[in-house]
Amino acid sequence: MRFHLLEHAHVTSDSPVHRLPAEIKLAATLAVLIVTVVMPLSRGGCFAAVAAALVASAAVARIPAGFLLRRLLLLSPFVIGVAVVNSLSAVASVPWQLVLMRSGLCLATVLLLSNTTPFSELLRVLRRLRVPPVMITTLALMYRYLFVLAEEAERMQRARTGRTFTRRRGIHWSVLASVAGQLFVRATERSERIYDAMCARGWK
Amino acid sequence: MHIPDGFIDGRTAALAAALSATGLGLALRQVRRELAPKRMPLLGLAAAFLFAAQMINFPVAGGTSGHLTGAVLVAALLGPAPAVVVLSTVLIVQCFLFADGGVLALGANIFNMALVAAISGHAIYRCVWRLLPGTSGRLAALAFAAWCSTVLASIACAGELAFSGTVTWSAAFPAMAGLHMLIGLGEGCISALVFATILRTRPDLAAQDLSMRSDGNRRRRAGYGLLVALGLAVFVTPLASSLPDGLETVATRLGFEHRAAPPLVSAPAADYRISAVKSPAATTAAAGVIGTLAAFGLALLLGRTLAARGADPVAPPRR
Amino acid sequence: MTAAIEVKDLHYRYHDGTAALRGICFAAAPGECVGLLGANGSGKSTLLLHLNGILPETPGNPPAIWIDGEALSRGSLERIRRKVGLVFQDPDDQLFCPTVREDVAFGPEQLGLSQNQVALRVQRALAMVSLDGYEQRNTHHLSRGEKRRVCIAGVLACEPTVLALDEPTSDLDPRGRREFKTLLAGIPATKLIASQDLEMVVEMCSRVIVLDHGLIVATGPTLQVLNDEALMLAHGLERPHILRHMHPHERS
Repeated sequence: MRFHLLEHAHVTSDSPVHRLPAEIKLAATLAVLIVTVVMPLSRGGCFAAVAAALVASAAVARIPAGFLLRRLLLLSPFVIGVAVVNSLSAVASVPWQLVLMRSGLCLATVLLLSNTTPFSELLRVLRRLRVPPVMITTLALMYRYLFVLAEEAERMQRARTGRTFTRRRGIHWSVLASVAGQLFVRATERSERIYDAMCARGWK
Repeated sequence: MHIPDGFIDGRTAALAAALSATGLGLALRQVRRELAPKRMPLLGLAAAFLFAAQMINFPVAGGTSGHLTGAVLVAALLGPAPAVVVLSTVLIVQCFLFADGGVLALGANIFNMALVAAISGHAIYRCVWRLLPGTSGRLAALAFAAWCSTVLASIACAGELAFSGTVTWSAAFPAMAGLHMLIGLGEGCISALVFATILRTRPDLAAQDLSMRSDGNRRRRAGYGLLVALGLAVFVTPLASSLPDGLETVATRLGFEHRAAPPLVSAPAADYRISAVKSPAATTAAAGVIGTLAAFGLALLLGRTLAARGADPVAPPRR
Repeated sequence: MTAAIEVKDLHYRYHDGTAALRGICFAAAPGECVGLLGANGSGKSTLLLHLNGILPETPGNPPAIWIDGEALSRGSLERIRRKVGLVFQDPDDQLFCPTVREDVAFGPEQLGLSQNQVALRVQRALAMVSLDGYEQRNTHHLSRGEKRRVCIAGVLACEPTVLALDEPTSDLDPRGRREFKTLLAGIPATKLIASQDLEMVVEMCSRVIVLDHGLIVATGPTLQVLNDEALMLAHGLERPHILRHMHPHERS
């Protein structure tokens, strides 16, 4: 279900947007987000301007429109939920159309950032902003091993289902849970080997 | 429960960001001081594990499925402070790499899913485990704590949405809490199953909890508790006071909606109303108490079953 | 001449009490390439982890490892780690940084070198493994062969005098294996290679050490040891095919 989120991670391309320093992109993203969130509905022009800027930069960065639209649609469960809850209550203070527009624009902005900026660049910015080293190391290691472990989970799940011949739900759940449990054990053992590898190259 | 951008206003985002920055800062400081260097890479790997484990789908019914969130599982395995770091890391990566959860809402998401879920969940886990010793008690405590933390996090989330004026509290609270009382059952069950597997494979790994060894932890835990309580007080209390009249309209509306809406969303909300009790506030309280007791009972049963089973029925064939 | 590696009466027990190494003694001359053979679980990897002081958790007394004449102790640990480059069995364990550049730079940065020197070392190390231009690549998306090379580059960037490799060719395709052998032959450091790839050992190593259950059961010139079929079979190994087809004159 959540594998679709990984799809863009392999996109490597080059464009003027990709080449901009990560600091600038991050600052611009934050500015756009803040403007979008605080802007009242009466200033419709601002939303249009933000949308136009996003479309223009997506075009320059050559991000496939289909991909962006697909990802935007994934927002819908939350939006629909809020819309339903709002339609029930007598006094909805913020019209859900506004919420929808704001969150759509914000999501597109963040997608643009994450698809044109390698995560290691963002880490570099965080390091410059003096985020504690423990946090940086943890983020970097998570980013490095998330695909390794996700693939490991997939392989284990496949191997297990390949040898599971019943379809009883209880069994199925405990199969999946033992895959997750084994995954944790393996992750821990890998962390020990990584620690050795870090020490071997002089980590203090 | 990842809040996207645009769903909470600037004031709420700033407040939540301040709270979670404080909490994460405290956790990082404690981790730096007390975690053995050998365990440092484990934080990143545990975060990657959680991310991968969240992608494993547990089929529920009619094509729907749930997945692990893992806050209490990680808190029980590594202790509260490392869990806060690990869960925040997962949320940050999900936000910036996959645009899952908003950037401005990151503070709120960290507050709900890292601080509230891990800190309250861990506290409940430790308390219940102390009451019910043994493996079955431990697994029951874990399942119950996972259920509670899911519900608490959803209440915090509802509070933030209502505080921002995106939805009214009277609509958000029963819907979110009700839905997550159901989702929490899955979370509790999966957490206990996964924990049981780890206990069987490497029992030593289930004892890495930092907080079990050092002494100065009671005070620190009180600090975290205060932080969580403060956040809940800010986001939830002012809204809860206006509860009675709002809830009445919602109860009738949701009761009406029950026939039309998809069952997963409306069923818990509809269950929320117990016709025998007349006052709406009392209704909420009664539903909450009954729900909690039921979850506790189920957790006990699960703990017994898992502990009694001992050997995994689907254990890998012996080599 | 001082030996590049000298191991004297090395013992090690796992936490559960299993004896992993039971009195290992050997030495390697500077520039020598020694093969470390043995069945699974014979103690090869454990031995390699000792060379760099990762095992035992607390340095033993009296010391059992000497590198370039210096005993490994708590005080000399840092210097010894600079001298001994360890290449791990699973490249995914060793490449723990998100990009190739960061990973290769990790060692030099820990050595406290300046940014310019680090950049120079990274460039040189990547050139040695013919991966110029890979600096910004994501480590996860490399092929196994490329990952191996980045591992070697990460170690070479620390400019070690001793290179200890654990199963370096176990998951490479024939071309990757050939390229790897060429790469290894061009590195002047003293090399200790633990491997099941006997054909590679025949080509690369002048001498081999055979381990079984934590003991050295044979040591000597590669061809002599590997041609001893009874010895090889007794310790879970076999005489490699390459020797069966070798001309008798080449065997001695």
